[in-house]
Amino acid sequence: MSAALQNDDRVVFAILAEQVSAMRERMDASTTFDLLWRTSTLLSWLSGLLGELSRSNSNPVLEKERIEAVAEIGQIRKSLDELFFFQAQRSDFARQVADCVVISLGRIAAEKAPLKTNFSTHDLEGLYVSSEQRDIHNAVVNKYLK
Amino acid sequence: MAVILVVDDSATMVMSLSHILKGAGYEVETGMNGREGINKLGEGIKPSVILTDLNMPELDGIGFIKEARRIPATRFTPIIVLTTESGGRKRDEARAAGASGWLTKPAEPNQLLSVVKQLMPNK
Repeated sequence: MSAALQNDDRVVFAILAEQVSAMRERMDASTTFDLLWRTSTLLSWLSGLLGELSRSNSNPVLEKERIEAVAEIGQIRKSLDELFFFQAQRSDFARQVADCVVISLGRIAAEKAPLKTNFSTHDLEGLYVSSEQRDIHNAVVNKYLK
Repeated sequence: MAVILVVDDSATMVMSLSHILKGAGYEVETGMNGREGINKLGEGIKPSVILTDLNMPELDGIGFIKEARRIPATRFTPIIVLTTESGGRKRDEARAAGASGWLTKPAEPNQLLSVVKQLMPNK
């Protein structure tokens, strides 16, 4: 690689855009989600099996334990569902931030003229899709205003 | 069984929302963007409630709501917007397009089910 290319900001930005893009692709398919999903499905299955057991069970001690186990499984499933939903929303937000970074870096990399004349904080604002992104943006801008 | 159409471009969100809604006894149909959502409606699905994200490729949430409102079968179907946007301008835009409710992420499953139940016809 030539020194000119090595020192070209646009190439650096293009590489960074691809790096963040690669990270974004992995966000929706993490093993954590898969494991949460499988655990919840397994618990649902176990709960069903325990329900079936009650039909053939005449032992009162076992029946008491079965009822407790079903209740516990229900609680864990509820917590898992909440965790899954919360993680999915967090992942969604991270994906949106990654999208913004990828688009911004990609645009900067594609610019022909000097960078500062082609991409402004106003351009960045146009890419936001959530209030949280705007809050982060404003916090940074306010630091420079002080 | 009441059908709910979920439209979101995040596979994880769709999976999670489907899981919660199915767990509450609803049948769930899904679309990965506004266009897919409209196609589902075109296939004859008649959802009791529609849940949609705003920022999606191909056809965004606002466009989806506008198109859904032009389809006679979904002209009055409750449409809930589930999004990370909490800004007033976007909310006004969604309302003007025909959205019935708004839920800002992060939301809890109970909040989601409560809003769905509230807007469900013949609840």
